[in-house]
Amino acid sequence: MANELSLTPPVLDMKMVANYVREGRFQRSLALLTAATSVISGLEVAYEHYRGSYSRRVMYTPVILSGLLAIAGVAAFFSRRAARTVLRLVSVVTLIDALAGFYFHVRGIHRKPGGWRLPMTNMIMGPPIFAPLLFGTSAYLGLIASYLQREESSGMPSTSGRDIWFARLLPPSAGRELLSAEQDMREGRFQRQVAIVTGISALLSGFEAYYSHYKNNFRYAMQWSPVVIAPVLAGVAFSSIKSRRLATTALPAVSAIAGADAAIGFYYHVRGVLRRPGGRKRLLYNVMYGPPIFAPLLFGAAGMLGVLASLLRRRRV
Amino acid sequence: MKKPLLGEFETPSSNKYRVGPLQSIHMPMRRFREYEDVDYVIVGVGSAGGVLLQRLARAGFNVVGLEAGPFWDTEHDWVSDEAGSHELYWTEPRVTGGTDPLALGANNCGKGVGGGSVHWAAFTPRLHPSDFEIYTRDSVGADWPITYDEIRPYYEQLELEMPVSGPAYYPWGHPHGYAYGPHPMGGVGNALIKGCSALNIPVSIGGPVAILSGSHGDRPHCIYRGFCIQGCKVGAKASTLVTHVPDAIRTGAEIRDRSMVSRIELGKDGRVTGVHYFDNEGHSHFQRAKAVIVSGYAIETPRLLLNSACPGHEKGLGNSSGTIGRYLMAQAGNVVLGRFEQPVRMYKAPPAHALTEEFYETNPKNDFARGFAIQTVGPLPVAFGKQVLAAKKAWGWGLRREMMDYNHWAAFGLLGEILPWKDNAVTLSEDKDCFGLPIAHVTFNLHENDKKLIKAAREKTEEVMQAAGATEVVQEARYAHLVGACRMGSDPRTSVVDKFGRSHDIPNLFVCDGSLFPTQGSANPGLTIQALAARTADYLVSQGERIFTSNERDMTTTPIRRELAPPETWGKGVPRLK
Repeated sequence: MANELSLTPPVLDMKMVANYVREGRFQRSLALLTAATSVISGLEVAYEHYRGSYSRRVMYTPVILSGLLAIAGVAAFFSRRAARTVLRLVSVVTLIDALAGFYFHVRGIHRKPGGWRLPMTNMIMGPPIFAPLLFGTSAYLGLIASYLQREESSGMPSTSGRDIWFARLLPPSAGRELLSAEQDMREGRFQRQVAIVTGISALLSGFEAYYSHYKNNFRYAMQWSPVVIAPVLAGVAFSSIKSRRLATTALPAVSAIAGADAAIGFYYHVRGVLRRPGGRKRLLYNVMYGPPIFAPLLFGAAGMLGVLASLLRRRRV
Repeated sequence: MKKPLLGEFETPSSNKYRVGPLQSIHMPMRRFREYEDVDYVIVGVGSAGGVLLQRLARAGFNVVGLEAGPFWDTEHDWVSDEAGSHELYWTEPRVTGGTDPLALGANNCGKGVGGGSVHWAAFTPRLHPSDFEIYTRDSVGADWPITYDEIRPYYEQLELEMPVSGPAYYPWGHPHGYAYGPHPMGGVGNALIKGCSALNIPVSIGGPVAILSGSHGDRPHCIYRGFCIQGCKVGAKASTLVTHVPDAIRTGAEIRDRSMVSRIELGKDGRVTGVHYFDNEGHSHFQRAKAVIVSGYAIETPRLLLNSACPGHEKGLGNSSGTIGRYLMAQAGNVVLGRFEQPVRMYKAPPAHALTEEFYETNPKNDFARGFAIQTVGPLPVAFGKQVLAAKKAWGWGLRREMMDYNHWAAFGLLGEILPWKDNAVTLSEDKDCFGLPIAHVTFNLHENDKKLIKAAREKTEEVMQAAGATEVVQEARYAHLVGACRMGSDPRTSVVDKFGRSHDIPNLFVCDGSLFPTQGSANPGLTIQALAARTADYLVSQGERIFTSNERDMTTTPIRRELAPPETWGKGVPRLK
């Protein structure tokens, strides 16, 4: 049997994975993915805030939280209980931190000479305005993961781990709606939600790419690619809310293109870092002031969300 | 009238000094009467004076700072222009002489609140532990009356207060890390990194320099516009005007600007009783004080003490040792210029942003004692023009052609230790200034060790420039910084003041500035000057009233008082090695 299994053609493997996702049985893999993305966005925020010299203590919180989220993700891979408690809690806290960060970045731009009266100058020279929200991506993945079923679970989806206490705080109809939405997530029926997040993520990271590359005067033609792809991805993602057909055809296609573009961007950014004076010998310094090495992967995260959305089911009507 | 979106732009107002685009000092400040016996009068509110003023005011003393120059409103008084910044410098008449006369003025003396820290490049390396005992180690120069370990907490503290940007690990001297992250490189920094990497010389990138790489309260971060030594209008570069003076005014200190101190008055009991000064209109005043601190830097401090000679102190106030004005030091600051095929654009960064101290210590293989550092220098066009004029003897059309080539040149500066020699001195000249006070005569001669050191340093710097890919390398000989001339020591026969800056002869007279240095190392002196000031302030605070009433000399070192730091110091900074 074991031999037979390992001999299954890749197409079948992919179908199997798609099936798991369709039914919402991918908690363990998504928890691991959360951990991985959290490590990357943690590194990104660590050196970006290093550039800002951690001039406020609050700048340490995303670095610490991304470490905690990575640990929670790994714990959730091993334990179903951890997935439903620790991972959910850390994810929520990280999402709140992302919102707080967004506030501080908006305020940081406001505080610069001229403030919002000189929006373009101060957005380019000030803290990256949408970066904190993009940092929330991994927390969002963690939050979803906490509601899913584990790969090995079979039969009817379990209902344990529901936020009943939270639903009780809400008015009865909203509480029921929340529990029903949770149940749908558990069954992999949340395509629209992920499509919306995909669209937002694409817009935000596209805008970040736009003004970061603008700082470099779009010296390489390739620097336009995320700026061009992002609105297309966002358009397709938002259209997928209405059209199920788009969600299963155009959305995965454009998402794959965005993912590939992110990989190319990552290569170029690494090359840009190594090409700087001192190159490998001054690696830390060059990572800090070279092209942001992990930033293209944040754009890739939008593509990844798009692929995820395309594999999910829509909510029952 | 309708308010503009998101509030109005700030309008100028008479009761505040703007010391940056976001930072201002709210007036009125406290005013003392002249007949009031204030606790301390500080002569000169510069690097050391600013720190002292802030510390003593915060500790609750009544302090008056007398400053010969103006109290800057940076938004109004400063311009981002090389030629327009001459008012920042001390350009009163002085006589310079000796076999290797120093150029005085723009490069080494400041005038106005903030003093030289207003137009320093803000390189802030620490001295090495070896610098405090070079006589013991190398039988040259002199030992300090303190060790590195005594000043180290003050280095760490002032690096937080400025704060200093630099790498998280700095390998030379006593290894340590910096409070703020390193700066990105400009063209000159990249050239230094390339040259050093090619020759396998370690190099410190992005600092140590007292320029903000991230914002700090109401001081915005650096925007790399290049006008550091013309007075940083951004407020990113640390000067005591933006780091310590605002807190001093807040806590009740007074600064009397445009007040030129002419003489320190000595009472019958052998203690000083106050200072005579001229105000802006030339009227003479006398401010009574229980103690006087002179912080006028290496030329004006000895000049004031020599000018204050009186019966019992005929050679100058507190000059029983005869060493006031002696052992003046400048650092060798040759500028090595290299031309590159690719544009360098050296104006696009702070002049100070990378350095190597690999050759700092005495090397037995050399035929000289002590060593040197190699640093980035980013002269703007006028300074560059003067340098190619000196280095290539370019003149007329030739000079014009060289200057049009400005964008292709990079400049490194070497910083070589010149030892303290007795014949390098500040004395009084026959000539008088506009107040009728004798002006300073500065004598400077290079000695054998200095010449050998400069030659070796120049060759090494040229080698690095060539390794960076320069096609043409030229150099100009010049000097940087001025320290010494009122040196501290434990022996009253060979030094002017004790290890806390207190005069050996007069118990309530203090000196606190760069003139205290017995030796200078190859590090820029700014950080050490401010660290010494904070240390002296801690001593004065711990002594309390005893300074004003008793002639007893308590030489115990007190622990650092971190609570006297400006409150905005805390809660900032990157993880680092202490």
